[in-house]
Amino acid sequence: MVRLITHNLLACHAKNCTSNNFPLQFKDIEIELREAEFNPDFIRGFLPKLEWKALIDAAKQLGDTSLPSEQPEMIDDEFLKNLHHVLLEIHIEEGAMICPNCQHVYPISNGIPNMLLAEHEIG
Amino acid sequence: MANKYLFLFAQTHEEFRLPEVQSVAELNGFKIDFLSPISELDVSRPFMIFGLENEDHARILARRCILIKSVCEFYARGKTYEELHNANRLNVPKWEKYIEDTSFKFEVSAYNHSIPQKRQREVVENFSYMALLGKIDMKNPEEIFVCVEEYVDKHGMTRHKHEGDGDCREIFFGRLIEEGSARQLVKKFDVKKRSYYGNTSMEAEISLLMANQTLAAPGKLVCDPFVGTGSMAYTTAHFGAWFFGSDIDGRQMRGKDNTPGILRAAEQYDVSKRIIDLMTFDVTRNPWRCGELFDAIITDPPYGVRAGAKRLGRKKPLKSSGSEPPHPDTPRPDDQPYIPPTKPYELSALARDLVLLARYILKPGGRLVFFLPTVTDEYEEVDIQTMLCDGMEVIANSLQDFGSWGRRLITIRKNTSERYPPPSFDAHGGSQPVDDPSVTHVPAHKDFRTKYFQGFRKELE
Repeated sequence: MVRLITHNLLACHAKNCTSNNFPLQFKDIEIELREAEFNPDFIRGFLPKLEWKALIDAAKQLGDTSLPSEQPEMIDDEFLKNLHHVLLEIHIEEGAMICPNCQHVYPISNGIPNMLLAEHEIG
Repeated sequence: MANKYLFLFAQTHEEFRLPEVQSVAELNGFKIDFLSPISELDVSRPFMIFGLENEDHARILARRCILIKSVCEFYARGKTYEELHNANRLNVPKWEKYIEDTSFKFEVSAYNHSIPQKRQREVVENFSYMALLGKIDMKNPEEIFVCVEEYVDKHGMTRHKHEGDGDCREIFFGRLIEEGSARQLVKKFDVKKRSYYGNTSMEAEISLLMANQTLAAPGKLVCDPFVGTGSMAYTTAHFGAWFFGSDIDGRQMRGKDNTPGILRAAEQYDVSKRIIDLMTFDVTRNPWRCGELFDAIITDPPYGVRAGAKRLGRKKPLKSSGSEPPHPDTPRPDDQPYIPPTKPYELSALARDLVLLARYILKPGGRLVFFLPTVTDEYEEVDIQTMLCDGMEVIANSLQDFGSWGRRLITIRKNTSERYPPPSFDAHGGSQPVDDPSVTHVPAHKDFRTKYFQGFRKELE
């Protein structure tokens, strides 16, 4: 759980934290690899939604360098499989995600991130 | 011309039948000809005749619709056997190909009634004019001809021993194409046999019907922002969709073990791989980076009877304006982890917010499928309109009736590709013009919890 597809969609949402609030930075994390079913159409369809640089940086931090630093124009099967692995098969089970701007700590325990805001962080 | 097919539905959830067949047809890219305006169809009867382009479409429906018991090629109907046989004789071209050399059997049954064996034989014998020459094979026939008599529901009254068969309402005749095979999923997802569930878990049959309303299929992305114990996660994932769940209170998702309860149950159904993530957050303060992410939202918002909906904030504002709210980093005397305060989330506000959120977070054409509890005596159709906004359209509204109250499964489609900003979840009614009916009309589901615990009595003068 907390797969990189999810990480790529989460931004800090504390009050007034509207810039430099993405991507959240991993800290003290434990990861697990688990196989997921490959659906090339889904991966291809999801490409336009991804923030590529954030994904590459996160993958690198977790030790996966299978993806090119720029989103390629030609999409082949090998690329889709690598992307599938990065998006869906790496699970962050423990640790935290920290907002690069306001430093809010979103803890992850047993694979579930706590994205709740504190009272002073809501409008 | 489209062929006519006879549908036999399960004797339950009447109002859910048409939306379900429509959804499954849309998912598979074909159309159903309802043969008369939908508003004129009598959904209270378990037999319906629809036009379909071909038999394959009938099979697709029978394999995916939870409420279909079987589908037949339709040959004839009649108020009496005489009428039925006359109509059937006119349809010779439909069944003459089975005369020469097809093994067959007849199945004679009745709805709300049981026919004595002796008369069943008589009924079969009266079809002798069809002159079927093939072998009669009771075990593995190539074709099964189905004759069903429909009787009016006596609501539990027993008939006299010697009453005979009484008057049947109508008789239907056709050739069996496929028995519904999706109904057995109701057993598979039985909550009692689930390794993890709670007191607010949704019953299996409804969770399956909801999943069908979302058009769940491989590669689709579906989320539930009030996921609770995950009842709808299992069924949507079963149909192949990827699933995200979130809740303001993580305890229900987790349960007591280290492995979250939802994942344990998902494992049991072999769908844990499709549960992408579970997260703790308040849907009105959600961390989604952008909109147009999901193909569907499926949810049963808590409406206050077993559990009430909550959102972040304080029920009563802190008294003195000078005092700051407690900061998560300041040590607490009891050494407990910081838990932000929450306040109740009134149902009609929640419903409107959910539609606004859906418009932002759904892809164009995406669906919002959720339950809304309503007070039977007070419900008006305009109640649903009060929660709509531009670009969102109600496509199905099915009542599950509990007597003085009920809950409606609402399916709303995003019919715009315009991009909207994320909703603020704060301005309720303030920015809308006063003559807007959605401001002046108070829907019957407002303050549902209070009404429920008052036993739905009118307020005393």
